[in-house]
Amino acid sequence: MSSSPDRPGDRSDDRFDELEADLRALGETLHAPAPPPDAVARAVRARLEAPSEQGARSRRQGLFPRVRLSPRKAVAAVVVFLAVLIGATPQGRAAVVSVLRFAGVEIRVGEPGPLPTGVASPLPSERRVTLDEARQAVAFPVAVPAALGDPADVRVSDGGRVVTLLWPGLRLDEYDGTLDVVFRKDLGEPWPEDVPTVRGWWIQQPHGVSYMPKNGGPPTQDRVAGPTLIWQRDGVGLRLEGADKEEALRIANSTR
Amino acid sequence: MDDDEAITRALAGDLDAYEVLVARYSAAAHRTASLLGAGDEAEDVVQEAFVKAFRHLRGFRREAAFRPWLLRIVANETHNLTRSRGRRADLAARLGQEREQEGPQTPEGIVVTADGGGRLLQAVRNLPDREREAVVCRYFLQLSEVETAEVLGVRLGTVKSRTFRGLRRLREEVGRELLP
Repeated sequence: MSSSPDRPGDRSDDRFDELEADLRALGETLHAPAPPPDAVARAVRARLEAPSEQGARSRRQGLFPRVRLSPRKAVAAVVVFLAVLIGATPQGRAAVVSVLRFAGVEIRVGEPGPLPTGVASPLPSERRVTLDEARQAVAFPVAVPAALGDPADVRVSDGGRVVTLLWPGLRLDEYDGTLDVVFRKDLGEPWPEDVPTVRGWWIQQPHGVSYMPKNGGPPTQDRVAGPTLIWQRDGVGLRLEGADKEEALRIANSTR
Repeated sequence: MDDDEAITRALAGDLDAYEVLVARYSAAAHRTASLLGAGDEAEDVVQEAFVKAFRHLRGFRREAAFRPWLLRIVANETHNLTRSRGRRADLAARLGQEREQEGPQTPEGIVVTADGGGRLLQAVRNLPDREREAVVCRYFLQLSEVETAEVLGVRLGTVKSRTFRGLRRLREEVGRELLP
């Protein structure tokens, strides 16, 4: 490089002065249209608050059909943003655990948590109610998937924090998915699969699920969950357990 | 609220604070995206860049300036767009249109010819990509050499040599056309 005739040091400083001034002046005549800054700030915020970037992406797709991230890359991006924690396993051994927080669910991927055994205990202060009672007992809209019809059983737990709808073989938990972590899931690889059509994540493998008490404290009610779809609509977090992926997506898409 | 405070708050998840940063640098980001070739997709590029900047905010060195760090993300997004679409030609047209909308005002000096600044702009458009990016950053965006190096993700010496080559080529092009 040192012998390159392109070295800027070869020139005297005034050699390009006129041209540089012309370029600056020309630049000032180039108008780049931009929307009002406040509008840009609001739009960016809306995208940051969207339950899933995929949702924002699909809305914009006609306008801006960019190369779509593969699910794996999308997950990686979220992980980079959220955190890679050096955590201690219950065994006291250091392990790298990646954490994904989405729609009121914290998913920890790394060493699977201690898989609990025995019968699942109910959520705190769980009580059986009717659907109408549930709707009155909670602050968020309770959605019922049209594909399933009225639930066979309805429970409200923890002072209206969670509504659980039950059909034979199926469990749908609904909770405020914007404020804090309601459920924690511990699983090993693979990562949950991003499901942009419902703005959610599909966890294909059995995994540990715990309830995170409203006022903090350690997770409770550890149990093993089967494959689960988690998604969010209208600020409500939903987790559906007991269906295969295809059926889960059909149910999610019918949820109004 | 200065940048440092806004960043501190944004890192803690305060989206109000991040909105302040977005509003503050929106115009610079749009201008960078437009002039580096995003054309009428600059708005999308800028939104994407701000979303990514928020997600990667932890990687921002706190002692550095926010603006060039952000503009680098904008430049990368623009680059991804133009590369994925082979948009070079569109960029050229876009730059030309921007110029025409501005009407007859032209810079003084060697570019004042029959079509005014259009000839110099045409010469910038025709530069090889790397030289054009350096020239756009240095003179159209009026970034320093150090800022240009950060925005384009290259070493300072590379900025200097690309700018130099670009200027030399521009003068040759414009100068030749001005010959009687």
